[in-house]
Amino acid sequence: MLAGLLVSGEAVAQPAELPPPAPAPRPAPKRPAPKPPKKVDLAPEVTALNGADDDAAMAAATNLGTSEQPGAHDALLDALAFGLPARVAVAALAALTQHPAPADVAALKRYAGHHTPMVRAAAINALASYPNPEARVAIAGALHDPAGLVRAAAAGAAAKGRVRDAVEPMLKLLAKGEEASARALAAIADPDLARKLADQYGKVPDASLALALGLILKRQDFGPDPARVEIVRAMAKIQDIAATNQLKDYLDATPKNPPRPSRQEAEMVWSARTGGGK
Amino acid sequence: MKALILVALLAGCGGKSAFRLSSDENNSYELGRALQRRQLPAQPAPVNTAGQPRLFAVTAGGAGANKTIVAYDLASGNVMWKVDAPVGSRIVVGGDFIATLEGQEIVGRDQARGQPRWRIGASNFVGVAADRERVYLVTGGNGKWWISGHDGGSGKEIWKEDASGALGAPVAQGGLVYVPFLRQWLAIVDGKTGKQHTRLRGIDQDITMVRANSSAAYYGSKQGMFELDARSASGKRSDATYGAVKVPAQLDGASYAPEVYDVVQQQYTANDRKRVLWTTTPVAQGPMQLGGDGYAVHYFRYLFGFGVDGGMRWAYSQPRVELVASDHTGNAIVAVSAAGDVVALDPQTGAVKSRKSLGTTSPVLGATFDADGWAPTGQAEPIETVAALVSIARDRDARFDRVKELAVGALAKLPGPEVTSQLLAVLADNRAPQKLKDAVVDLLVERKDPSSLPVLTQQLSVRTDYIAQTEPEALGAVAKAIAGLGGMTLDKAHVAAALAALQSQLETGTTAVPDLIMVVKAMAAIGGGAERPVLVSHLLLYRADDDVGNDVTWAKVVVAAVAGKAKAPERELLRQVAADPRTKAPVSGAIRDLISPE
Repeated sequence: MLAGLLVSGEAVAQPAELPPPAPAPRPAPKRPAPKPPKKVDLAPEVTALNGADDDAAMAAATNLGTSEQPGAHDALLDALAFGLPARVAVAALAALTQHPAPADVAALKRYAGHHTPMVRAAAINALASYPNPEARVAIAGALHDPAGLVRAAAAGAAAKGRVRDAVEPMLKLLAKGEEASARALAAIADPDLARKLADQYGKVPDASLALALGLILKRQDFGPDPARVEIVRAMAKIQDIAATNQLKDYLDATPKNPPRPSRQEAEMVWSARTGGGK
Repeated sequence: MKALILVALLAGCGGKSAFRLSSDENNSYELGRALQRRQLPAQPAPVNTAGQPRLFAVTAGGAGANKTIVAYDLASGNVMWKVDAPVGSRIVVGGDFIATLEGQEIVGRDQARGQPRWRIGASNFVGVAADRERVYLVTGGNGKWWISGHDGGSGKEIWKEDASGALGAPVAQGGLVYVPFLRQWLAIVDGKTGKQHTRLRGIDQDITMVRANSSAAYYGSKQGMFELDARSASGKRSDATYGAVKVPAQLDGASYAPEVYDVVQQQYTANDRKRVLWTTTPVAQGPMQLGGDGYAVHYFRYLFGFGVDGGMRWAYSQPRVELVASDHTGNAIVAVSAAGDVVALDPQTGAVKSRKSLGTTSPVLGATFDADGWAPTGQAEPIETVAALVSIARDRDARFDRVKELAVGALAKLPGPEVTSQLLAVLADNRAPQKLKDAVVDLLVERKDPSSLPVLTQQLSVRTDYIAQTEPEALGAVAKAIAGLGGMTLDKAHVAAALAALQSQLETGTTAVPDLIMVVKAMAAIGGGAERPVLVSHLLLYRADDDVGNDVTWAKVVVAAVAGKAKAPERELLRQVAADPRTKAPVSGAIRDLISPE
């Protein structure tokens, strides 16, 4: 009944998803064979979720989220539809993502406009688990939220969901010195985006730019190496100590052999800045 | 006590003075004879013998320099002459001369060329007046006052009378001189001989203001004015031709004429920038009848036209600078600005009929118009009352904050989306005073203008945005204004757009609870049922919330919006909500108040 009374959000554009980064060559993990779901009685958990004890409701939400039984997920959706106290809603939203289903997006969007920033942040964070255009629009939109907590969640979600439409607002937030956006941009940057970031020199705080470029440099999946060289050269322009520290981190994290031009370039810059560490 | 002693002393004086306490007064026969002696033109006309509408302005001089008199022909738009002079009073205009106080003398000048013609000693100056033939000078103080009549061609004294009580500045008209005496009387004196024809005593109010044009004379005080006619002999408002216009409180201080006992006001002062402008149609009985059934008020840089009921008809705002002097010619409201711009407006519509310039670079300090009956020719400019009111409302000058309230009040009475848009712009103006914004909010709500719904909806499109640094302007007020449209016939497409915009604000987490309440009210007022699913979702989202759910007003409003005309499934849902232990008390209480337990 509730689903019929509730409305979904407005029509959305179809934002593109960034291509996933090239996977690093790693040995395939050996996964244990899945166990058959354990049949447990959900009724006590559902009762607790809808009860007046918030702590018990939060624990119940977590338990229902981990449950493999279909009824558990529906119980979470029903509780969210009927309305939950903020703390319980946060737990329920996180629990939903344990077994994402397309129908969740409408519920998450509804809570993404909640009065309490903590709830909004949880909803946005959860939306990152859904490869859905509406979810991506909501994530990009949350970058404009006046609450820093929500913007940080949106930046994290944009990185996790590789939301292309989030790049421009995150560049603007980078200009305001927002660390979450620096980290998110670094996480999703390809060589083109890295170049665009390098071009922000002078337009964004040095420390934020150094952080973003430094994090890209350290990504194992970022390359080829000439792209890293470009980043090192961009970092060489940044006078802030943060750039020097990021280059040192890169040097520490990268073996000398086989020789890598980007490392050699970084070493030159770092030596020039510090006198070789003396 | 002092007044009684003064009255007793004066009563004992007797003698030949025209100005005594004991004298024939309010004598209808003598008044009638005196008025018959007035030489008035058949039609309103300037005093000057050329019959040309003229303006005599005084501009500031440089450091230590004299002021400058600028004589200007309003009809041709040409400057007749300019002369430097140490002007110390208003300029009075005669047939072929003008006169003004310069230092301790009244200087008569040739009106055609500006050259000095004669000089009269004027120590202890009180006021000066002129008609076509003569100039009349009042001096005095410290227990003795004099009035003298002088030939306008030579300045030669023709007669002189003394008074033991205070005389006010005189006003001359067609051979008669109106001389205020001891605030209580208006002596009507023969300009040729100085002999008093009769005098009027104000029974209901003081006589501290006198004004005359070529066809009528008026006397009275800030409270109201009498028209000088046969019925003036009664001395009472009820039996005379009396009128008092409604001056809005925001234009406080606007007066009918300069105060005749205030010697400062015999110069050009800021007092001239707050003036009621009017003409009358003669009546045989009843109260004063205003010409064109209306009047105007000059208030610094603004002119407002009002109907006799006090409703604003039009407004004019002079760009940038103040209007320093104004007059009603009978056919036009004419005013001159500090920058030397001369504007003439249609008294009925406020349309600008003429716009000229004195061509002066020095600021204009004041001016005297001799333009009675003047009707500017040429094409009138379009009536720009809305633009004028907007200009006033958006004026940065903090001195006029109350006038801005008057302007937005008048603006709000005009229909149309453009006006709504301008009112909203006041709300968006960071420099507008809060009191003005509060007034605008009230006016927006009272407006109830269906054609404004798209404009109000447009206003809702602004969202809180950290990156763009925007937030909705006056969201609650706009929603309240939309709610005010409930029950009116609205365009369906406009309603749909408004509902979408309201929903967007409803579902924005940053919308403050008081604004949420207004948004809910607006949706319920215009939604016609389409809003119900959204409001149900909203109620459920917050029914257990510690902040929103505990707001009693919010709970009542949203529950009322959902419960009103609720169908069975919705009523059942509401019962479930009320019964749920997590539902906040204000919400469950509001539901129980409206929905029976079944």
